[in-house]
Amino acid sequence: MILHINHVQPERAALASNVVSTLVSLAGDSQIPSRILDNLNVHLEWVQYKTNFREAVTLRRVNRGNEVLPWMEVGIDLRQAHPETLKQEFINALRDPGDPACAARQCIYLEPFTTMRSSMIWRFNNLFWQHLPLWEAASGKGFERALPGGTSDANHPEAVADAVADFWTLLKDLENHNQLPPEIFVLEIGVGTGKRAALWLDRFRLVDRERGTNYYPRIRFLLGDYSMPTLNRAMETVRDHRELGSFLAVDALDPFKSLSFLRYKVLSIHLTNVYDNLPTDEIVVRDGKLYFVEVRSYVPTAAAAKISESFGIPVAEFARTVSRLLEVGPQHVHPEGAEKGVAFWRTVWDAIRLEERFVAIQTILDAPLPAGVKTGLLENFVGEGVVMNSRFQLSSGAVESFLNTIPLLHPRGYLQVQDIFVTKLDDYSRMFRGPGKMDGSIVNWVNGALLAQVGAQAGYDVHFAPFRYREGSKTSILYTTQRE
Amino acid sequence: MNLPILPTTVVGSYSMPGWLERLKTEFFARRISRQDLDEIHNVAVKAAIKDQEVAGVDIITDGELRRDNMIDYFATRLPGVQTDQTSKKFYYDFYDSVVRGKIPMASLRLSDDFKFLAAFTDRATKFCVTGPHSLVKRIRDEYYNDEEAFAMDLARVMNQELKELVRSGARCIQIDEPYYSGFPEDIQWGVKVVNALVEGVDAKITLHICYGNRYGKPSWAGNYRYLFPAILEARVHQLSLEFARRGGEDLELFKEFPNKFELGVGSIDVKTHEVETADIVAERLRKALKFVPAERIFVLPDCGCLHLPQEVAFAKLKAMVQGTKIIRKELGG
Repeated sequence: MILHINHVQPERAALASNVVSTLVSLAGDSQIPSRILDNLNVHLEWVQYKTNFREAVTLRRVNRGNEVLPWMEVGIDLRQAHPETLKQEFINALRDPGDPACAARQCIYLEPFTTMRSSMIWRFNNLFWQHLPLWEAASGKGFERALPGGTSDANHPEAVADAVADFWTLLKDLENHNQLPPEIFVLEIGVGTGKRAALWLDRFRLVDRERGTNYYPRIRFLLGDYSMPTLNRAMETVRDHRELGSFLAVDALDPFKSLSFLRYKVLSIHLTNVYDNLPTDEIVVRDGKLYFVEVRSYVPTAAAAKISESFGIPVAEFARTVSRLLEVGPQHVHPEGAEKGVAFWRTVWDAIRLEERFVAIQTILDAPLPAGVKTGLLENFVGEGVVMNSRFQLSSGAVESFLNTIPLLHPRGYLQVQDIFVTKLDDYSRMFRGPGKMDGSIVNWVNGALLAQVGAQAGYDVHFAPFRYREGSKTSILYTTQRE
Repeated sequence: MNLPILPTTVVGSYSMPGWLERLKTEFFARRISRQDLDEIHNVAVKAAIKDQEVAGVDIITDGELRRDNMIDYFATRLPGVQTDQTSKKFYYDFYDSVVRGKIPMASLRLSDDFKFLAAFTDRATKFCVTGPHSLVKRIRDEYYNDEEAFAMDLARVMNQELKELVRSGARCIQIDEPYYSGFPEDIQWGVKVVNALVEGVDAKITLHICYGNRYGKPSWAGNYRYLFPAILEARVHQLSLEFARRGGEDLELFKEFPNKFELGVGSIDVKTHEVETADIVAERLRKALKFVPAERIFVLPDCGCLHLPQEVAFAKLKAMVQGTKIIRKELGG
């Protein structure tokens, strides 16, 4: 057995030490067959998110084609692990799932193994944004309350004022060179409550009036989101600037699809907390060999039974009812109506976990890749940056979104993205970066190191600046500058 | 040159294969030798020639596949320009180049590359050079302190090179000046410099002016109105302008400012991977024909195909040729 200690929070050092000694004693007391111990890697991890898709102890098997390889991996989440139950959980995790002695591992699968980005969890994520008002009514709080600090960094007045100042400077420079277009397009993708757009427009109008430049009436502020409830709410928030605003259904994965008429015309594009909410795949490197991660959603049988009983659903119908929830929405899934349906949705979401398995691949090109990325770039990225043992996200959705957004940029325009970025590949080895649950949605750190490479290939230098406006913020601002 | 009406041609560069990008970068990392890279370039250029021929293009180039970018190919050859060979990691980046004294006269040895092209095709050929205005925007000046004076000196040196190209058999030479569009205020002296560059050069001279194609995206926005009337003084035979991506609105300028230039009509958008149909190309040409007679129109992409995948570039050139054939037929050809 090889033990990897990937991350230990200082205040959990004693726990980590306890876990290690438990594992050592387990290895010595022959409860686990030596053929398993010889092929076992154990990873002690710290899962960033309090609510996520993992158990305290999870087993990951490894496949090459149809063959199940002998080596296996156990992940221990130090956030969830309890010394008193750890030993038994560890033994259970290594037991054959069909072993009746292992009742704790029995579960109801909601889907077959699939790539992470295709997993059912992303349909739950869509469900959240499409039925946000129902969720919020049930939780009694707006979705922003779930964010660290209880509010979106996007709406920080000082950050907005600085963004406006930079933008005004750009416009002035364009005007000085007689290159200011008659219509000044600004795009925000993922509009949240619309508060940032309103703050930005308020501030811009003020600056413009103070400086007498008369740019404000030429602004065309486009608010794009795929959630109609969100757009409706934003429309109300920016009502003071209605004559300048357009509210558009935009697929964050491919903004160009609905906005191609603005190719090379948009001077500023801004996104906050969008990339971390887009589907991703993950790559695992073990002893220099590559694997991609497949997952399948499940709910432990005990939890499913409890949920079924609470909502008057036969346990045998549990998986089918979850499918129906995703198909027809929470209003129609339960015979007693929307309130009960939403409660079912929230309870199921809490209970959902992901089983993982690693699929062996020869090269990165055999993995499910983000669309639009040159394969040579990915080969270089993996060849140069990946250490012998690491696990990182491909941030497939973020990369696709980035590539499908930059063609909208005016030659002097720029893209700014506020999000949680891993800017150096090495940083992945220090912490597990998701996916986690953020209220009813999904959150993932974003592979900024890869985005920087993708940006360079597309003619943009990609920079990351820490979000300095809120102490303790983990957010960074990605911004692009044109490569000369 | 025995060319059909509406001759088809290219702006210069052809699709840069991903493997060649990587090999060029390997060269900078000193993992392959200069001789290896030269041999690789020879193979790549032959393939680019073949693709253009098979696509049916009438006047072809070497695809400019030996060049890192439109600046460094010249900056590293220009006498008196110092390039920091350690200043780039990726082949396509620009060297940090600087001029610290008067540019002396010396050969740039461009004709070697022209001769290679001519040796491997029976088609009409074109050789493209970056113009002095664009070069001075990328080479740091620590001597002249005057962009026009610096550009004039570059023109003086490069004029000899163009004459050498003509002696080697070049009949069509294209001057690339995309930086005009980024610095429209320079157009008056920019044209004077071009005239100095082509003085006494006995070849058909095309002046290509686009809005930039760095990394396959435009570097500037605007319209071609800034060119007029200054451009009317340019002693060139042909203007090559981009109309596919930007639409044909600026064609009106050729009515507003009567002139004798041939017009290279950009009919293929090189900034999208979407391949035009022949009908779309034909429609773009019909629009151009409303402003310029067929005898003075050449058909080409908006700019070089450098950033397009090979299969896309090839398909676009084929569509361009097929679209041109539609119009030739309509004209009774």
